[in-house]
Amino acid sequence: MAWYRPPLTRREILGKGLGSLAILSSSPVLGGAEALAEQRETQHRRPTPPNEIGPFYKKSAPKTAMLRSPGDPGMPLMVRGQVFNARGDALPNAVIEVWQADHLGHYDLDGYRYRAQLPLDPTGTYQFDSVIPGHYPDRVCQSIHYLVLVPGYKPLVTQLYFATDPVFDGDPDHNFGRDPLLHSRDLVRPVVLAGDPHDMQAVVHFDLVLELL
Amino acid sequence: MRWMRFVCALVLIEPALGQSLKLEKTITVPPDAAVRFSAVSAKGDWIAGACQDGRVRLWSFPSGELRQSFDLQDQRVSSLRFSGDGALLAVGGDRGGVGLWNVPSGKLKLQLKGTEPVVALAISPDKTLLAVARKDVPAQLWDLTSESVITPLPARFAGSLSLDFSPDGQWLAGADADTDIRIFESRTGALRATTSDLLLETFAVVFSADSKSLYVGGADKTVSVIDVASGKVVRTLPRQPYVVSQFTRSPDGKVLLALYFDERDRAKPAPVVVWNVAEQSVQVQLSQPDLTPNGGGFSANGRVIFTSSDGAKLQVWSQPNRGK
Repeated sequence: MAWYRPPLTRREILGKGLGSLAILSSSPVLGGAEALAEQRETQHRRPTPPNEIGPFYKKSAPKTAMLRSPGDPGMPLMVRGQVFNARGDALPNAVIEVWQADHLGHYDLDGYRYRAQLPLDPTGTYQFDSVIPGHYPDRVCQSIHYLVLVPGYKPLVTQLYFATDPVFDGDPDHNFGRDPLLHSRDLVRPVVLAGDPHDMQAVVHFDLVLELL
Repeated sequence: MRWMRFVCALVLIEPALGQSLKLEKTITVPPDAAVRFSAVSAKGDWIAGACQDGRVRLWSFPSGELRQSFDLQDQRVSSLRFSGDGALLAVGGDRGGVGLWNVPSGKLKLQLKGTEPVVALAISPDKTLLAVARKDVPAQLWDLTSESVITPLPARFAGSLSLDFSPDGQWLAGADADTDIRIFESRTGALRATTSDLLLETFAVVFSADSKSLYVGGADKTVSVIDVASGKVVRTLPRQPYVVSQFTRSPDGKVLLALYFDERDRAKPAPVVVWNVAEQSVQVQLSQPDLTPNGGGFSANGRVIFTSSDGAKLQVWSQPNRGK
């Protein structure tokens, strides 16, 4: 089953002593202006790179935009984005499923914690609240899994990674290859801190671009 | 702490087994060639190991004599599967390559190229068909005579995680990442039934000896029995606390060997469970602290055997007494 060996063990990663919050204030975090600029991408869009489905997809997830429960430990996270085709047309009829580990890196196999089918607005925009996932021991990086289905388009199975992941040592441009399953820098997204110092959350923007069948 | 581990070992082993595991064989490998996972031939006379140095080593069992060593050149081995008679060994690599070797001559019979990592392989009973599952892309059904693809075997999305041909050669089952189980006609690849009752990924699939039932198991930690004719789940065996990773049917078809892993860390120790198929119950659970099984099957005299790695040692364990 486990047929690859990550270049770093979870212990080695944690041994670097870099918590998510500390990293959030370091170099890969984009300022608001940069993040906005990234949102204003051109009309013609590059398809989102696929990434492996596993582990632990579970179908029939509840339709909700709130994945975390009150009092859940971990860094609060809000992810938002829009679904497009390669011409830049919004795809409001997309079905998006997301799933992730909790802040300790544990996937819920018994229920649907941190699993959802996301509602979309008429512009194909989605948004959900969660926590920054922990490191699953069999994977190198923290990630959120996506399955996006739109009639007439190729199913998109991919994952969202965080520029603040300690594995990248503050330099995802050079270090994203430390995860042997991460083949595209495009999937590593900047993390913006928002809110007041007593009630902060991480905000990530992740658009999804599908290819025609 | 040491006494606690001892007590834990007794608690784990005593209720089901009443005896400790037997270490059948210790096979020494080079220091850089620890065995990552293994495959055991159906007759229990061969063990193939995917080694850290990239090579596949083939040992005769129970002698433990090294008979062959081969590789996929630039690829790390990601999948191993013997044919039902043990005369062929299919090897898949993490860059999509597949090699088919004759056993025990070590003569390369066929080599296929690909790009995505191979996650599962199956050889038809008559050795004319090969099914190849690669990560996140549709599996393929190959005609080994013409060395051509008969058809892809698409899922709704992503690919297959486990494959098995029925013993009568009529059917090919695929456990797909979309959580569906699909049953195809093995000659044509035509879809005959789809089981959509399972919510989580299935990692193991094997037909019953009479080809009428299909046993599937995975992240839901259960063994589900599917009626091949209807494609319906007809039974679910008692749930275990671990994720199913692999099934092997005993030569007489009466028991099913299931390997499991801990969903929170695959490197952690996990049990091996032997299911009594007729009674639909656990016949025995084999486990030991600090032991992570990485392959299994049945010996020539019908005993359950499974492997684990301890650095440069491949250890072969058995369930004592069965088959006597």
